[in-house]
Amino acid sequence: MALSGDAVDLRGIALTYASADGAPLPAVAPTTLSIPAGQFVSLVGPSGCGKTSLLRIIAGLQAPTAGRITIFGDEPTEAQRLKEIGLVFQEPALLPWRDVEANIRLGRELNPTRTRSGAPIAQLIELVGLGEFRHFRPDALSGGMQQRVAIARALALDPPLLLMDEPFAALDEITREQMRYELLHLWAVAPTQAERPRSAVFVTHSVNEAVAVADRVLVMSPRPGEIVADIPIHSPRPRAPEHEQSQRFLENAAAVRAALRSGPANDPPGVALAAATA
Amino acid sequence: MSAPTLSQRSARASRPPLALPDLGAALPYLLPPLLALLLAGVAVEIWVRTADVSQFVMPRPTVVLEEFFVEFPRYFSEGMRTLAVSVGGLALGTGVAVLLAAGVAHSQLLERAVLPIAIMVKVTPVVAVIPLLIIWLGYGWEPKVTIAALITYFPVLINAIAGFRDIDPRMHDFFRSVSASQWEIFRHLRLPAAIPFMFAALKISVTLSLIGAVVAEFFTAGQGGLGSVIWIEQNIVQLHKVFAAVLMLTVLGVALSTALIVCERLWSWRVNQSSANI
Repeated sequence: MALSGDAVDLRGIALTYASADGAPLPAVAPTTLSIPAGQFVSLVGPSGCGKTSLLRIIAGLQAPTAGRITIFGDEPTEAQRLKEIGLVFQEPALLPWRDVEANIRLGRELNPTRTRSGAPIAQLIELVGLGEFRHFRPDALSGGMQQRVAIARALALDPPLLLMDEPFAALDEITREQMRYELLHLWAVAPTQAERPRSAVFVTHSVNEAVAVADRVLVMSPRPGEIVADIPIHSPRPRAPEHEQSQRFLENAAAVRAALRSGPANDPPGVALAAATA
Repeated sequence: MSAPTLSQRSARASRPPLALPDLGAALPYLLPPLLALLLAGVAVEIWVRTADVSQFVMPRPTVVLEEFFVEFPRYFSEGMRTLAVSVGGLALGTGVAVLLAAGVAHSQLLERAVLPIAIMVKVTPVVAVIPLLIIWLGYGWEPKVTIAALITYFPVLINAIAGFRDIDPRMHDFFRSVSASQWEIFRHLRLPAAIPFMFAALKISVTLSLIGAVVAEFFTAGQGGLGSVIWIEQNIVQLHKVFAAVLMLTVLGVALSTALIVCERLWSWRVNQSSANI
């Protein structure tokens, strides 16, 4: 079968760990999924449902135990080599000995023959609102500011695929709600030289966050993680915080919550409910 | 309540000042030990004079000081020889240790091969092999530098291995996600991470290197250095000269440790605050 040029194409991807006594421990159930270029996808599910594992498989950091995966038609390692993947983690994960500017520049310095010029670093720093803090070390910044640096570092690669693993989970509620709209703004305005429209996979365990940012929400069941619902979000862009009070937003969020509650068809509902609300 | 101003944040972000410490503030810490030392010296002086202790058992502190200052050129030039051996051994030991540690950090096979031998060499009293080293390397600087290196490499090796491995796994993921080479991971992630570890080790090794140099000079007494001065003068019971040489060694030890702390402030991105008090 010919694999498409979709941003992400998963065919029967599964991940099974061997537990201490040798029994197989499924983390991700066989998953088939396509994400077209240009789409912003949220992956929402309870803690420990395998969504981080799935993201690591897409990023080429974790080999699946079954199935095939392509990123823009290539193996994930090839996508890494072409610097097509921008990664943002739950914790900022910055180099403490580099200042803001040098941290943002890091991805461009590595594997330099594949660096795309993209937006000037100075412009990215202004875009994430850290102009005054350009020469500050990470430990002098707040958690929200550090995460802005991490997002700018990923965008500095001008990646056609941005992968984010609960990027705002470690932030306080107020900052978190503000950051999701900053992210959408960056997503829309950060200059790009890539020929493809930018795609994103955004992992979260917050239903509101998932619905607020995405074109499409994938709902995962508790372990072994399985995508149990694929919900399109038709809210127009650009979106603002007020949009979270709109009827359409509330309906979408309700649909995602219903899918989280239902769980996989073969599980007794009580088990899925307990895991989803844990 | 107001948010911290930019200048306050700046102050927190900057490294500790390299300027001379404020003498007024340092006085409460400098005065007590100096006074205690002075009192001890006066006590010894009174004891030696009143009890009429022979100068072949304990020279008067005043005679030692007179010898030290009157014959200062001798002690200084012999001290420089000892310093050269000490610094040479430290450089050789540190260089070999860092190279070995870099290999060990990358290869488990190398770790299994090298670490047991490194520990064997470390637990063997170095003094025991000095006669062998002299037979093999002659009476020049070579055996002395080798001994100083043998006595200093171990703390650097162990700490450098720990430092090269003390990396944020998510940072490592980021490097992999842009297909960074092993060299880039070493140069931009492992090596800077290890710098504070290496300075911690050097603080131990720098005094060890002085011990190694002096012991080696005992065995090559014709070749100069403070160790050979001590060896020769104690043979003819010129104890005030032995004490003057020891005083010079103390000065060297303080100078070496201070130089290291200055280097740490210049080159380490994380300065251990407690180390500021030598």
